[in-house]
Amino acid sequence: MPSEPITLIKAIMHTLDQEMARNPNVIVLGEDVGRRGGVFLGTQGLLERYGPERVIDMPLAEGAIVGAAVGMASQGLRPVAEIQFADYVYPGFDQITTQMAKLRYRSGGQFSAPVTLRMPTGGGVGGGQHHSQSPEALFVHTAGLQTVMPSTPTDAVGLLRSAMRGADPVIFLEPKRLYRSVKEVVPAEFDFTVPIGKAMVRRIGADVTLISYGACMLEVARAADEMARAGVSAEVIDLRSLLPWDRDTVFESITKTGRAVIVAEAPGKASVASEIAASIAESCLDRLRAPPMRVTGFDTPYPYAQDKLYLPSVTRILNAAKYAIDY
Amino acid sequence: MATWQDDSFEAFSEQSISLIDASDRWCGAFDLDLDDSTLIGFYEDLLRMRLLDERLNTLLRTGKTSFLAPCSGHEAAQTGIGRAMRRHHDWLFPYYRDQGLAVLLSSADEVLAQFQASCSDRNKARQMPGHPGSDQAHIFTVASSIAAQIPPAVGAAMAKQIQRSDEVVVTTFGDGATSEGDWHTAMNLAAVRKAPIVFACENNGYAISVRLAAQTATATIAEKARAYGMPGYRVDGMDVLACHYVMKQVIERARRGEGPALVDMAVYRYGPHSSSDDDSVYREADEVAAWKKRDPIDRFYRFLAARELIDEGADKALRDRIKGELAAASERAGAAGTAPVEWLFDDVLAELPWHLVDQRELLLGEVGGS
Ligand SMILES: Cc1ncc(C[n+]2csc(CCOP(=O)(O)OP(=O)(O)O)c2C)c(N)n1
Ligand SMILES: [Mg+2]
Repeated sequence: MPSEPITLIKAIMHTLDQEMARNPNVIVLGEDVGRRGGVFLGTQGLLERYGPERVIDMPLAEGAIVGAAVGMASQGLRPVAEIQFADYVYPGFDQITTQMAKLRYRSGGQFSAPVTLRMPTGGGVGGGQHHSQSPEALFVHTAGLQTVMPSTPTDAVGLLRSAMRGADPVIFLEPKRLYRSVKEVVPAEFDFTVPIGKAMVRRIGADVTLISYGACMLEVARAADEMARAGVSAEVIDLRSLLPWDRDTVFESITKTGRAVIVAEAPGKASVASEIAASIAESCLDRLRAPPMRVTGFDTPYPYAQDKLYLPSVTRILNAAKYAIDY
Repeated sequence: MATWQDDSFEAFSEQSISLIDASDRWCGAFDLDLDDSTLIGFYEDLLRMRLLDERLNTLLRTGKTSFLAPCSGHEAAQTGIGRAMRRHHDWLFPYYRDQGLAVLLSSADEVLAQFQASCSDRNKARQMPGHPGSDQAHIFTVASSIAAQIPPAVGAAMAKQIQRSDEVVVTTFGDGATSEGDWHTAMNLAAVRKAPIVFACENNGYAISVRLAAQTATATIAEKARAYGMPGYRVDGMDVLACHYVMKQVIERARRGEGPALVDMAVYRYGPHSSSDDDSVYREADEVAAWKKRDPIDRFYRFLAARELIDEGADKALRDRIKGELAAASERAGAAGTAPVEWLFDDVLAELPWHLVDQRELLLGEVGGS
């Protein structure tokens, strides 16, 4: 790992590189992952270093990409497949839900499909409906998958390593709005991982818990700053893993603050935010001082002209927190 | 010489089909039966597509649009397709690089309104630039997802059969699209049902950075048609007359109820994949330069000049007029204003359900709106 600060996308690229160097079974496959190095440069340099047998420019077919990764994994390889944008995963969905997610269960544990399926997600980049969607709920709703989304370069390294070394398939969602927006020095140790299923408390507070993940961590941090200026102390949790999610960390925080605001840019109905809110209501009712609040993207297709308005704004987060505090 | 026939071109020919030879002369086995003003019209269409890309690049630089998948190098294919269709009658199910073809079938105003996310966009500024659609011009609104338009195009063609309509459907796509399952299922279905549809591949040899050889093990896209039970034609996609006559043959054949066909037009993408791509990473400048020597516009200019249908002065006047028209259309799109905030919520469904009514109120309360 470089010793200078790196971006989230560079963190992914370096982690892939290291894991490929360490483990000859690691295969990278996807559209434009070879000479182009990925459209976001997540696989830059890998073809030159590991050759076309291990870095495969696939024909344009997501069903083939996911399905082939499952087949490779069933034979002991460790494929990391890239879907160019999460919005283009749908032609591969049958392979995800029928094969990747169910192979272990269906075969009574004889076979498994430890595939890492990377895909850029989220909006705010002017990409309209086909370059902005946040489909995490579809994966979380599919039994047999683990779904994660880092929001920092360090977490990208740690979670990607856990995914690539783990026993089961992982949907690795990359918040493209953050690809180049933050830089940090990532841990140098090769053993550093972020376990799947562990959240991170980003800021300690007492009055309200703001729970989020991915690119919305930006707006959540800004909202927490604003609240601090107004004398309100917000605790901020970055979920990092969407399923399994970190119940202990979340419930512990609610025990302290009694208030939860869950922020995510995916549409709100039947979403990850809904799952967290419902679980808090079920398990923490006696400690709650206000209803758990959701601040999410709208239940519309992702727009183009109103790109920025779609995302949960700082104002919307502050209003929800104020409602919970005044309740 | 013979006159043009319904079956002038044979499917699966060894050689790719050309009608303009290396010295820019007619080399068809039948008489050219297009009158002079139609030939000039073809030239004007080719130019308009090239100049549209230029205008769009200017709009990009000035922040009036945000994205461009340039069509330069595809003009002969797009003109040939559009000129073989019955305008506002036959249907186009296009892909994102078809802005030139869309202007031919609708208007510069419609297409530029879409590129500029104008209030006058018939699609209500819902999509990123390069995704036009028009019910009045019979253009199915583009979706970026590769090959996603193709099964619906077959369904539309089946509808035309059921409705006893003589409208034909044309669907366009790139070479990369032929790897998607949707492409294969659609080809199969169309042939099984003898649907009135033409599959037109704008084969530029690349899917972003991935070359055709990594996309398919066949030498051509055309030969894939055989396995589905329809004729396939390999055409010089830099030759507007070849594209036009082959498309005309297969469109009229489909109209007569004789079933679908696949046309594989060898074109080249002059620019990067899109305004977010850097093509220097994966292809040599020499290759681009070599293709530009076969430029469809220069070639057709020389063809027309040899027939004394055009000269430099007329060419310049034509270019100036088209530039003026495109600039004026762009002005009108800008003057129409930007999309209102509440358009975010319209058209999710025909009637807005309660949760979207609530969400619209929330947003309008936050940012204000009309
Ligand atoms: C289902 C799907 N997967 C991936 C993409 C990303 N993508 C956009 S264009 C493109 C290449 C398309 O190549 P081709 O079909 O040859 O058309 P061309 O752009 O060359 O005209 C890719 C992979 C997409 N739009 N849709
Ligand atoms: Mg192509």
